[in-house]
Amino acid sequence: MTTYDVELIDIVKDFESGGGRVRAVDKVSVQIADGEFFALLGPSGCGKTTTLRLIAGFEQPTAGKVLIRGIAMEGIPAYHRPVNTVFQDYALFPHMTVERNIMFGLQMEGVGKKEALKRAQEALEMVRLPDVGTRKPHQLSGGQRQRVALARALVKQPAVLLLDEPLGALDLKLRKNMQYELKALQRDVGITFIYVTHDQEEAITMADRIAVMNDGLMLQIGTPREIYEHPGTHFVADFIGETNFIPATLLERGADGIGSLRLTDDTVIQARLSHTLQRSSGSVTVAIRPERIGISSIHNALRGAADSGDVTMLDALLVDSQYIGTDTRYTVRIGDALNLVARVQNISERDSAALAIGEPVTVSWHRSSTTVLDR
Amino acid sequence: MAPAAQSLINQGSMRRNRAVRRLGQVGLWLNPVFAYFFLWAPILILVLFSFNESKSVASFTGFTLKWYNNILNNVMGAERAFSTEIMLNAFRNSLFVGAVATAIATVLGTMIALAMARGRFPGKSLIDSLLFLPVVIPEITQAISLAIFFKVAFDWIAGISGERVFPGFHTIIIAHVTFNISFVAIVVRARLADMDPQLEEAAGDLGANPWRTFWRVTFPLILPGVVSGALLAFTLSLDDFVITFFTSGVGTSTLPVFVYGLLKLTVTPEVNAISTIMMVLSTLLIGISLAMQGRTASRA
Repeated sequence: MTTYDVELIDIVKDFESGGGRVRAVDKVSVQIADGEFFALLGPSGCGKTTTLRLIAGFEQPTAGKVLIRGIAMEGIPAYHRPVNTVFQDYALFPHMTVERNIMFGLQMEGVGKKEALKRAQEALEMVRLPDVGTRKPHQLSGGQRQRVALARALVKQPAVLLLDEPLGALDLKLRKNMQYELKALQRDVGITFIYVTHDQEEAITMADRIAVMNDGLMLQIGTPREIYEHPGTHFVADFIGETNFIPATLLERGADGIGSLRLTDDTVIQARLSHTLQRSSGSVTVAIRPERIGISSIHNALRGAADSGDVTMLDALLVDSQYIGTDTRYTVRIGDALNLVARVQNISERDSAALAIGEPVTVSWHRSSTTVLDR
Repeated sequence: MAPAAQSLINQGSMRRNRAVRRLGQVGLWLNPVFAYFFLWAPILILVLFSFNESKSVASFTGFTLKWYNNILNNVMGAERAFSTEIMLNAFRNSLFVGAVATAIATVLGTMIALAMARGRFPGKSLIDSLLFLPVVIPEITQAISLAIFFKVAFDWIAGISGERVFPGFHTIIIAHVTFNISFVAIVVRARLADMDPQLEEAAGDLGANPWRTFWRVTFPLILPGVVSGALLAFTLSLDDFVITFFTSGVGTSTLPVFVYGLLKLTVTPEVNAISTIMMVLSTLLIGISLAMQGRTASRA
């Protein structure tokens, strides 16, 4: 039997609030392997930070079990758990120097002062801040504080490092740099990271696996590619990246995971069904990413290719075009009411100026780019 | 309307506005002048007449330090009711009561502040508002209630053990602790409210149990608040007259009670001198207390 670094089994957490009960985490189960970079992703209030705090031991679950390296954590307080946390606002002790901050955790383990100081200095070198040891936290910049918080947690060599939006307070450029550094650091030390963020881009670029949460539920767990390419629910498709949603009626569920659907204007198209799709007929939603939609002026359209059913081609009207440097973002209208967004990369300067607003166009996509979801 | 006439009217209203604004500025300037006058004039007169050559407060006849000299050298004009020894004894009593009451009130007040800031228990908001009560209820009410309480308690003790307990230092100290707890708790709580509760979680996360978390993280961070609260308590204890008067026994007069005893005979310049010394001492202590709180705020 495999032992996971962290295993959550049917975790429920209710909070009392003004006489009522609010469910912050709802039957969450997940297994996180040794050395994994695992992201908990969701909007604020989705329960991701509460989940992290349940692992850290700052909160006790209302129901369910937390296992760390196979050991049930029930009744084990935070200060006896083999996990360490990097807090959102760093929570560095303001009355201690940087060195003392990092030594604190070691001294609590009974490590001698000399040894603790040596290891603290090594930890500072690891986060590339060797010269700030004798300073107080308020004398450091935000980015430096962030590194000290990281060093303070990592010096304990925890089984699992918990990070609560650690880059949230940094400006954009520093955040990008820290993303790469954190990922590289995690690969070097090989410690399991559980990383809470509301930034989908951050989760996609850093994590080995992502769990998308909303309203206390873990909606989908998968690699960034799975989450992006095969969103399991409407919420996941909408939260991760940009998505067009096309209302449709499911006519037939094919055995190969392909279904026939009728759009509101009676066009019949073929699209890939989500694994999680429950209904076998009736109202559904077809999700498609803007960058998977091709757009061309009607004269150039190769209408013949549509016969195979692999490619969907629809007549549309270009209603808006937005130049955003790397891409051009087109809004097209199909029929009377359906607006779709298509993103086309500007390979050359001419691409971006090729289509005029008000022009009739053809939009097209391959059926493998679609996902049919329950509505 | 002609443009010229329009502009004349505008000029008129502008001039009126300027006049109103100037009146407002003068009013704003006068406001603190009066406020500070009412606050400080009586105290200034007291200080001034403690240096007055004449015994009368009718007129200032010249500068002298002789009243201060009298206090220290056991001379008390015509009355001869004054004894430096008695005064120094009363001052020692004040310091003793202040020190013991402050120590007890600081520990208890800090503990209450911690419980209020971190604890979760039923009836917390009720206890919270009860904590502020001693600050707002009239001192005389508190004094009488304490006097009655001690009477009832001593009767009860006498009924059980047959021993009669009399008021003395213990009753004054208990009384002072009672009103000081609130002040200490309020000051420490303000400090705790400023402190990031995540720091305590961080200490726990790094392996410190609650006891070590308190001594290594919480206590050093609230220490300025605790010291400030203690200084405030000590000052209040040193200055208190009403409650002490109602709870003291024979031979345990504090300095304010002693001064009151002098006043019963007549207002002498020596009383002015003693009062001035007490005021300087209290102001000094409160100043240190405020400076501690200020340092805390600027560091956070």
